[in-house]
Amino acid sequence: MEEGRGRLGQAHRARQVVAGAGLLALALTVAPAGKTAGPAAPFRFVDVAARVGLTRVLEAGRPGKDHLLDSAGAGAAFLDFDKDGRLDVYLVNGWRLEGDRVAERGRNALYRQRADGTFEDVTDRAGVAGEGEWGSGAFVADYDNDGWPDILVTAFGRNVLYRNLGDGRFENVAARAGLESPGWNTGAAFFDADGDGWLDLYVAQYVDCTLESVLEARRTLWWKGLEQVAFGPFGLKGAPDHFFRNEKGRFVEATEAAGLKDLALGFGFAVRAADFDDDGRPDIYVANDSDPNYLYRNEGNGRFKEIGVTSFSAFDGNGMAQASMGLAYGDADGDGIPDLFVTNFSEDFGTLYKGLGHAFFEDASKTTGVGPLTFRPLKWGTALADFDNDGDLDLVVANGHIYPQIDGHPEAIGTYRQKNLLLENRLRRADVPPGSKPETLFRDASAEAGPGFELVRSHRGLAVGDFDNDGRLDILITALDSPPELLHNEGPAGSWLTVVCDPGGPAVPIGTRVTVTAGGRTMTQDVAAGDSYLSTHDPRPHFGLGGAETAEEVVVRWPDGTRSVRKNVRARQFVVVKKGS
Amino acid sequence: MKSHRVPWTAMMAAAATLALPEAARAQAPAPATPREMVAAYEALADTILGANKTEVKLVRAILAATYGHAQGEMARARQALKANDAAGARAAVENVATAVGQIGTEGDNSVAGIRKRLLEGGHHANAEGERQGIFDDGYVVVTKTAKQAFLDSSKALAMLAREPKAEALDAEWKKVEAAWAKHIAPAR
Repeated sequence: MEEGRGRLGQAHRARQVVAGAGLLALALTVAPAGKTAGPAAPFRFVDVAARVGLTRVLEAGRPGKDHLLDSAGAGAAFLDFDKDGRLDVYLVNGWRLEGDRVAERGRNALYRQRADGTFEDVTDRAGVAGEGEWGSGAFVADYDNDGWPDILVTAFGRNVLYRNLGDGRFENVAARAGLESPGWNTGAAFFDADGDGWLDLYVAQYVDCTLESVLEARRTLWWKGLEQVAFGPFGLKGAPDHFFRNEKGRFVEATEAAGLKDLALGFGFAVRAADFDDDGRPDIYVANDSDPNYLYRNEGNGRFKEIGVTSFSAFDGNGMAQASMGLAYGDADGDGIPDLFVTNFSEDFGTLYKGLGHAFFEDASKTTGVGPLTFRPLKWGTALADFDNDGDLDLVVANGHIYPQIDGHPEAIGTYRQKNLLLENRLRRADVPPGSKPETLFRDASAEAGPGFELVRSHRGLAVGDFDNDGRLDILITALDSPPELLHNEGPAGSWLTVVCDPGGPAVPIGTRVTVTAGGRTMTQDVAAGDSYLSTHDPRPHFGLGGAETAEEVVVRWPDGTRSVRKNVRARQFVVVKKGS
Repeated sequence: MKSHRVPWTAMMAAAATLALPEAARAQAPAPATPREMVAAYEALADTILGANKTEVKLVRAILAATYGHAQGEMARARQALKANDAAGARAAVENVATAVGQIGTEGDNSVAGIRKRLLEGGHHANAEGERQGIFDDGYVVVTKTAKQAFLDSSKALAMLAREPKAEALDAEWKKVEAAWAKHIAPAR
């Protein structure tokens, strides 16, 4: 653990040492990084979860999924809790029910990555099993600015805030910090709303219900006139979201004062903080199930204004509210303006909101191909990330239905357990002649993405991170009543650069934005705690550089507006950029 | 709204009659719903149907108030533009956009919360219209077609708010007026 106490510079050195080395011990078929992306099969993912020791089963209510809580699942996080330069994994867990009784309270799991690329279960030693709550999501940030990443576990029940003590142990300080907020808490996002250097917090809530009502639930909703399935969310009462202002480590409920009162009581699932209007202040997007989504614009005076409708991000292009579950943020079309992808229910398309600038969007689901390609499955966790390092953001989507009963009618819309989707972004595809455009921006590459995308489960949470530090992004996915999947990226990826932002204080530089210019392209990523579906990605912005071996410029915009710039940065490395440099 | 008081005491007395001993009932005429209960149900039906009509009137009033607010903000925007008050114009046009969006969504988020509560209770103002795909769930007056028209204008106005120009603003407002006249103003 001593090496883990070093600062990010040391962590970076540790990363260089471990890069690509650990997993060789497991004799995984790692293709050499650096091969330029070719026209065919640029992806290959293999599930290595069991082999590396990630085995905790996600408990999920009853087999029949009689209540929506049974099928909501839970998220996961990539984090480096001991700052040894290797990503660790945190998995949230639910409960197992038998009829109307609680059979088992699932335990969350913290897996520490060893030097050989395997993981050891340190849950008990760290004290992060979840306090017996029915967990929802995992959100990693340094809320108390002590230099160590902490973990917020949202829950059906009371939230848990695990403060990292820096010695491998955590303590639950949720009650002391004012964050327990009983209810069905789901997605969350840490962000510095008021620019005071302390991370504030938005927590979404889903349905207003009690444990008794969950235990007594019966399947009463007719699905296509064929089966009775879990009731809701229509007909259930929505629960209000909450905003907490961080006052030097203590959280104060400030929802109404900040203009964030959840007046419509939307069924909140996913939350993402980002600077949607590029004014230097973080805004908040909330994906609601079956209700219009919210976009809260930060007005700069500690208050927000809900602009979902006027920004055109509340509804799809047809003016319809969708059953939104998860979201991804990134510049999908390479125009320099971040876009937003929202996952929705089955037989409805995932919506790609093309960013128009100044927090305006338009529904580009159809024109980009994303809509038709995502129509059939029920979609949850997601990410826009460059999995083949060709310089554009691909789209991964975790799928799985909520009604096991549909298995009796597979001809209708498929099955309860579903394959995940990998959509290749063809913006930089090598076989597209220069000057011409492919028919659609995205194509379905799942069938060519290796055995990792053949897995059939009811998937939920999804986090992206380069867990083996080989410059290729891997994918961590949770699934109901199943162990997690860790999809190791073994594709013939191109050149890359990962930027480790060192703000010189907080362990995780939430709200930092990194822009890399390489090979004539400019790409931007930000650091967030709260993304996808109930999950947190690797906090180190990763850039695929295609054939470029040097990034002409790396610009880091820190949350306070200051910038750090690096010129002519060599590719294929984790470059550390310190604030003030 | 007309008040309909349900004569509960009479209704209970009638119910007690139905519970007479078997011998006594054998002497009674053929069973019929007691008149008091029929009257009570009639009154209740008036209440229910009256409430539905009241709901339509109330939602129309909400829409009219929102439209009036939009008109007021439009006037403010025009004045600001004439006075070269860019900030004032931006704020006013953004308010117009917000109000027009709220017409499309048949009220703001507060109203959406109430609509949701009604849906929780199984109340659909236009159940048949929903089945036919004409109305969104719980919407009372604004059809899907109308909603789309107002949402499109709302977005266009919001984008204009960044750099308002009188001509473009007037053109977009004409669309709002036309949508209002076509979809909302005529009482159905």
